[in-house]
Amino acid sequence: MFDIPQERAVPFGCVTPAPVGEQPMMITGNWREYRPVIDHEKCNLCMNCVIFCPDACWQLDDAEEQVVWNAKYCKGCLVCVNECSHDALGKAYELDFPDGVVRLEKPF
Amino acid sequence: MAKEMTLSGCAATAQAVKLAKVDVICSYPIRPYTAAMMELAKMVAEGELDAEFIHGEGEHAQLSVVYGASAAGARTFTGSSGVGVTYAMEVYSPISGARLPVQMMIADRALDPPGDFGSEHTDAMSCRDQGWLMGWAESPQEAFDNHLINYRIGEDRRVMLPQFVCQDGYFVSHIPGKVLVPDQGQVDEFLPPYDPGSHVLDPKKPMSHGPQIRPDQGTIMDLQRAQAFLDLPAVVKEAIDDFNRIFKRSYAPFVEEFMTDGAEIVFFIMGGHAATARHAVRHLREQGVKAGMVKLRFVRPFPTREVGEVLSRFKAVGVVETSTSYGGSMRGGNLLPEVRAALYALPRRPLTTSFMAGLGGDVVSLKDFYWMAGILAGAVQAGKVGKTVYWTGLERA
Repeated sequence: MFDIPQERAVPFGCVTPAPVGEQPMMITGNWREYRPVIDHEKCNLCMNCVIFCPDACWQLDDAEEQVVWNAKYCKGCLVCVNECSHDALGKAYELDFPDGVVRLEKPF
Repeated sequence: MAKEMTLSGCAATAQAVKLAKVDVICSYPIRPYTAAMMELAKMVAEGELDAEFIHGEGEHAQLSVVYGASAAGARTFTGSSGVGVTYAMEVYSPISGARLPVQMMIADRALDPPGDFGSEHTDAMSCRDQGWLMGWAESPQEAFDNHLINYRIGEDRRVMLPQFVCQDGYFVSHIPGKVLVPDQGQVDEFLPPYDPGSHVLDPKKPMSHGPQIRPDQGTIMDLQRAQAFLDLPAVVKEAIDDFNRIFKRSYAPFVEEFMTDGAEIVFFIMGGHAATARHAVRHLREQGVKAGMVKLRFVRPFPTREVGEVLSRFKAVGVVETSTSYGGSMRGGNLLPEVRAALYALPRRPLTTSFMAGLGGDVVSLKDFYWMAGILAGAVQAGKVGKTVYWTGLERA
């Protein structure tokens, strides 16, 4: 009845197997004003940040036995800082970093 | 064996939810719907119903809780009234877009300002284009039945859509009526357990619900929901046939006719005021006025074909509007535009107009219906309608 191009098809109910990877057309890291910073000495790998991050920006690196942060998609909501069980996470102003993303490089 | 009970609309809803063996309920208090949650809380506390009963922090949270629970494969129930319904607005479209068959009871209440506890359909009608099924009950019995019917339709794999199951605040929600409550076996025969299929959150098979899609996929996602609504009428008819057979009822799927044989003028109406309209029609008939009533059971999906076929048989149709559409095409409510659209392509069309009535919980009395009948009879005689909207009881003579 309808002719839907395969490359634009949407799965039923927009449900996809996860994770399938990153969406390069929807970079959200440049929304950030503050970023979470981790003190790996204090981290006990409780995984709260991995579970609570709404954008899956904290992932466990099995080989290194530590959690790693994804700067490309972290919006700076700081839920992880709030949920950290061992005060291993703090916040820092983006301007304090040479690669800070306070200014948009291009309009999104 | 079915048993007869005397129940308010809210209590009837609670009985239906219990017999539907709902898994997760999320409440937040607001009059008048809240009486249903009081009944359900009692049932859960007393061990009659094995469900998770969660208090939301507000209506937005209520809908978010049932959204998640439904995604995890639970049969869910929530509800609200008035400004509570509109406070949750953001969450309605994501639920229907995710194709999750959440069920929400709405016991209508006028929107603010200022505060008014009375029934009016504007709260629910403001949400009619969010991809949910929507329809009204006239009595506690019909409210009870509609909850079961809507779970069955919404959870059908061909549908998978959420449902607003509406009843007029107070007129239906708080006035007790006789309700035939079936036994569990009958309900189980009609309503199988919810099967979410592969469309379910499972830690062993991670799924991402509600991910970002690209702009060029937006139209396609909307087409999926639109298609589900195109496929709905067949499923509704199947469900109503089964319901009538198992519970020995005689529901029309979409449009019920009352005393329309030989009728020239009819009231087109939905919800609790239809009960008064029936009496008005009977009295008018005794006085020789050829009046009838046509009752709408689903606003979404709007039964365009059925409404057109039925209404084109009469000379004049008076749409009783119990919701507002300020500045809308008919300058009154929301139903007359739909009715006129349903009639537009037909070769034979009745005269149509609308009556604003029963807003803010105002009673629509027998006298009001007689007055409407007078306007309709005058239109038939003149061969045209004076205007598209009359404000019942407030028009200068």
